[in-house]
Amino acid sequence: MLEIIDCQIQAKTWHITLPGIQVHKGELLVVTGPSGIGKSTLLHWLLGNIPQHVVIKGQIMLSGTDITALAIEQRRVGLLMQDVYLFPHLNVQDNICFALPKNPQLSSKKQRRLAALNMLEQINLGHLASRYPQNLSGGERSRVGLIRALANQPQVMLLDEPFAALDPSTREQMGAWAFQQLALQNIPSVMVSHDIEDIPASAKQLCLADYYQALEQK
Amino acid sequence: MAATIRRIGLTSAWLLVSLISLLPILGIVVGLWPSELVNIADIKPFLAYQGLSVSVFMTLFSAIFSTLISLYIAFMVYSQYHLSRRLQSFEKYLAPLLSLPHLAIALGLVFLFSDGSLFFADSGLPRKGLSTLIIAIVIKEVPFFLLIFSAIGRQLPIKYWLLQGKALGYQDYRCWWFLVFPPLLKQSRLALLAATAYTLSVVDISLLVGPNIPELFAVSVYRWQSSFAAGDQGLAFWSNALLLILLAMSVFILYAHEKFAFAGCKALATQGSRFLIGKINPMFKAWLPMLGLLTAMMVLVFALWSFGLNWHGNWHSDGFALTQLTPKLWQDEWLFFALPLQNSLLIGLLAGLLGVACALLALELQCQKGKYWPDYYWLLAIILPQLSMVLGWQIMHIWYQGGYHSGWIVLSHLPFTFAYAYLVLKGPFQNVEPGYELLAASFGYSAWQSWWQVRFRLLLPAIFTAFAIAFSVSIAQYIPTLMMGAGRVTTITTEAVAIGTGSQQDLIALYVLLQSILPFMAFFVAALLARRFRGSMGGQDVRDY
Repeated sequence: MLEIIDCQIQAKTWHITLPGIQVHKGELLVVTGPSGIGKSTLLHWLLGNIPQHVVIKGQIMLSGTDITALAIEQRRVGLLMQDVYLFPHLNVQDNICFALPKNPQLSSKKQRRLAALNMLEQINLGHLASRYPQNLSGGERSRVGLIRALANQPQVMLLDEPFAALDPSTREQMGAWAFQQLALQNIPSVMVSHDIEDIPASAKQLCLADYYQALEQK
Repeated sequence: MAATIRRIGLTSAWLLVSLISLLPILGIVVGLWPSELVNIADIKPFLAYQGLSVSVFMTLFSAIFSTLISLYIAFMVYSQYHLSRRLQSFEKYLAPLLSLPHLAIALGLVFLFSDGSLFFADSGLPRKGLSTLIIAIVIKEVPFFLLIFSAIGRQLPIKYWLLQGKALGYQDYRCWWFLVFPPLLKQSRLALLAATAYTLSVVDISLLVGPNIPELFAVSVYRWQSSFAAGDQGLAFWSNALLLILLAMSVFILYAHEKFAFAGCKALATQGSRFLIGKINPMFKAWLPMLGLLTAMMVLVFALWSFGLNWHGNWHSDGFALTQLTPKLWQDEWLFFALPLQNSLLIGLLAGLLGVACALLALELQCQKGKYWPDYYWLLAIILPQLSMVLGWQIMHIWYQGGYHSGWIVLSHLPFTFAYAYLVLKGPFQNVEPGYELLAASFGYSAWQSWWQVRFRLLLPAIFTAFAIAFSVSIAQYIPTLMMGAGRVTTITTEAVAIGTGSQQDLIALYVLLQSILPFMAFFVAALLARRFRGSMGGQDVRDY
């Protein structure tokens, strides 16, 4: 379970004080609000990428452990952004190999490649294994991006407007498929979106505008 | 009528830029065209030439080794600065470091660190040797690669690759090696080839700080090319052919290195390897400050020598005596260096301006055509061995009976100033939003007016930098100046090399200092102008009336 405790976002002219937030396993929290209110900033803070333009205070608990002070690479947090940023010098299979955790069952190159291929085949994308990111469609790129993030066995998944770059029909399909995958993995997820159509009915919502307070200018 | 004039103008412009960019190939073809003085039998004395194999091996080794070491150092330095807020100052640092000519760095090292020098009685760094040459080249090439990485880095989403890598559990240094190095290496091919080709055929620093017995291959090639002794023309021909073979071998080795490094990084990345060696990256944060300090020390030691600092024996012995600093040498030498200085300035200004103008012309012509030709085509002057191409130009110059004056020297510098200006200007030129010119056209400005008042103005900061680099390139040219001017047109660089082969340290210091001041001034003025211009365009400094 992901818990966000006493979170405050302070900018020069405004601040936001959030209530205590809990996202249980398999649950999706969608953060909404107008542009510039700090949706992505909140997400990057959860990731461990400390924003420079605002001050964020608070505590992040993941499965009972305080991860607030941990570096990004120690948090086991999955990330899917609007641009998936698949590594261009690695093919699809190797992109997933890169994400696989380092454990004794996945120590050899052969074992890792096989595990990556299995993951792709489970979602009927085995045919993409040897393709490079440049040769994938937008939808395929998003799917591979999500599978790559899940391959790392994250404890929480963060999605920053993940489908915004896709055309409407692909977007709908991709959304349904992605939420199904996330539910199957049974991990808590936080998604930033400004499009109401992206939000599944079962999701919890957090509208930052509800907690926004302008500061008086001196 | 207007359409005909425009067509003639465009064709002439294409002809002009094509001629400049093809001059290097033309030079190599003419230089390698066998004259009646050369025959196949000459290959025997060439191959039997004493020390040839060692000389060739040393040359190839120094070219590849110095290039690759510079590449790796530059990458590790870049990894420390890319995301920091100090990136801006990092780019500011590069200009003065880039402006110091190779010759000044090589001699600066000798003045500071070689055996019996200012600081070390027995440093192990020889006055003349392969190690001195390689260190000098590495010091000079690292800022060059940093500039290239900085340009490539702006086009790549490095920040997000690192973020993804870290989110997947990899430390910063491993993300740099596994995710950033392979694409950066692939896009640096041209820079790697340019650095290697330079070292393969550089004569001035090889002559001054390179090994003596046997000498580096480029020095032998130059000696044979400029000799009239029986049989030397044959040796010159075959040595030129071998120089091109060495270039081809370098291309192959660099390509093999790229494949090997790429496969290595990929294998490590997919296996989730630890790659502990990457932990040394943070050490290279100190590189730029150290280099800045070294550069300042070099300039200081040249200045002290040229102002009459004498010591007998060395710094550590009791015989050392600091006499009062005096401008006597500067006063005595003024008469001798005034003309070379004037020539250097004139040639540098003209070759720099023409180089920048032609680079802009080449970019604009391609922009109008909607298709950019490969960089290899425009940058031939810096990826082919200089010695071979200049030999061809010299032969053509003799056929033409052109006489010896600065105009020919400017022409011989032009392919190099053009290539460097093109390298600097291409990115900024392509990044100018076409919308600005469209907007100007919608206000009724003609194509030429909107180019001049919008695109050119937006590019001005880059143009100042390109000019400073082109000017520095022209100032540092040795072989084209010497071979095309036949010794009749002297510049600060030709004088510095001539004096550098002697043993009068104070005079060497004076000329090297002069040679360093010129490009430094150009960068300084360019930086001032660029800042002033940016201030007027940036918006922040514009008053809201």
